[in-house]
Amino acid sequence: MTDLSAASPALPRPDSAKRRSPLYLARRRFAANKAALGAGIVLVIIILLAIFAPLISRTGPNDQAFLTKSLAFPSSEHWFGIDDLGRDFFTRIIYGARVSLGIGLSAAVFSLVLGLPLGALAGYLGGRFDWAIMRIIELFSVVPPLLAALLLATLTRGGVWAIVLIAGLFGWVNVCLLVRAQVKSFREKEFIMAAQALGASPWHIVWRHLIPNSVSPVIVGFVLAIPLAMMLEASLSFLGIGVQPPTPSWGQMINVGMNFMYFYWHMAVFPVLALAVTILAASLLGDGLRDALDPTLKGR
Amino acid sequence: MLQFIIRRTLSMLATFFVVSVIIFLMMHAIPGGPFDGYEMPLPDNIKAKLMAQLGLDKPLWEQYLRYMWGVFHLDFGVPYQSPGETVMGLIAHAWVPSLVLGGLGVLIGAPIGILLGMAAALNRNSWIDYLASGIATLGLTIPVFVISTLLILVFAVWLHWTPASGWGEPRRWILPIMAYAAVPLATYARYARSAMLDTLNKPFVTVLRAKGLSERRIIFQHVLRNSAIPMITIFLPMFVGIATGSIFVEAIFRVPGLGAYFVSSIQKRDYPLEMALMLMISALFCISYLISDILYALLNPRIRLGGKAR
Repeated sequence: MTDLSAASPALPRPDSAKRRSPLYLARRRFAANKAALGAGIVLVIIILLAIFAPLISRTGPNDQAFLTKSLAFPSSEHWFGIDDLGRDFFTRIIYGARVSLGIGLSAAVFSLVLGLPLGALAGYLGGRFDWAIMRIIELFSVVPPLLAALLLATLTRGGVWAIVLIAGLFGWVNVCLLVRAQVKSFREKEFIMAAQALGASPWHIVWRHLIPNSVSPVIVGFVLAIPLAMMLEASLSFLGIGVQPPTPSWGQMINVGMNFMYFYWHMAVFPVLALAVTILAASLLGDGLRDALDPTLKGR
Repeated sequence: MLQFIIRRTLSMLATFFVVSVIIFLMMHAIPGGPFDGYEMPLPDNIKAKLMAQLGLDKPLWEQYLRYMWGVFHLDFGVPYQSPGETVMGLIAHAWVPSLVLGGLGVLIGAPIGILLGMAAALNRNSWIDYLASGIATLGLTIPVFVISTLLILVFAVWLHWTPASGWGEPRRWILPIMAYAAVPLATYARYARSAMLDTLNKPFVTVLRAKGLSERRIIFQHVLRNSAIPMITIFLPMFVGIATGSIFVEAIFRVPGLGAYFVSSIQKRDYPLEMALMLMISALFCISYLISDILYALLNPRIRLGGKAR
């Protein structure tokens, strides 16, 4: 934009023209979406709580510091009450955010590592490679993901990294499809043909031209993979084959809270709300980013 | 058209074959066998004899073929956890609660969702549009066990309106059905809204308006019919997904359905039951996708003539 105006200084340039880059437009569309903006703010607060958890709470997540007050209801001193083993529940919840968000982010990275190259190659090469990738994706659509994840989790005996791996294994499909669609629509563009005519290798074209042009689906796929992975982690931990105690995890806390729910409501309500709010915020943010970055995808 | 059906069927059969092989291999990769229990350690020679009796000492490919031969005769073997029954019999009676609760959930949730989505599309940016979008987002993002826990807390613990859990008299069905209805309601609210909006923006609707047709006739006679196609095609896969039971809903409401048996089969290393459930649910998904593909082609001539479903 700048060198263009330098080349023709005689042209009158309205002030707003400079700022109307695609990124500027995306930012404006995002800011107009109040739900997404609010979700983003909520998510930032949760992330800050998770990062600075040791500064916010005086006790560690596994310290049974309040054994005499076990199962105490919320008070001004203990915002979310005390759990059955004498641990401050607010502390457990914010440390639980570390586990949940950590797994969500790592699984999203893993989905990206798998889905981005496969989607880009499938979209660019087409033909047999594309066919093979699409058949693999079809396999994933037939097997119920939760049951398969349950089986895989027993196979690997749970643990944080096993969950990341499983979530990535089921998360790459979305990233792959998004990238594939974008690359397919760019494949016939003139600048790709120019690169081909100049003798660029397929790998060079995909890596230098097609992937940089797929930034928006990549961002969207990445952000939307986070809540999916968090949901999977919570589900597996809820069933007792995910994150193992005493590491705090919301799914696990909900499972314990279910047994106390009839008399000690705080044991169930707070982990349920923490999980629901975080997943909702992450999905709304993802939806908002999708609408802002690529208005043509809206509503899909 | 016949060619299209044959091609889709073959492709689905191939998919199912690959899935069955993967499930079979995964099942055998699980460490520990059915006779490795801690309570009653068995001598090695007796263990070997038991394994031979059940055909577990044969090479893997032979086990697979023998197993699939049985499957085609609806013989899934005997569940390790209750040797007095067959897997088929166990599934048959475990499916009843899942089918009743899940089926009712879909049948109640889907129409409400469709009405909500339609109302939202016809009154864009009104309060009902925001309500429908809000419900759709909540229902699709919040895990079902969160919804179930909240339902119990509100209706059973605080308001004492319904029993919290169990299976038996229909009064106990209310909460699990509500939990099951959440997903179809949300899905259909979103789908119906976007399908209606899609059709409303088509040029033919403008033409109909220009011709002077009343708004009511445009919507009921033209828009509804055209936007019904995607709604019909997602119904079957969704029904299969929900009526085969949710592990969470059944665990939380203590319903003895398929989901509950799936969890217990994994905990007890009950290969025959676990395999049968995985295979059966995958097969049902395959069939439901196949039927919706064919339905879609039948209902939409553009797809039929183009010859490709996806």
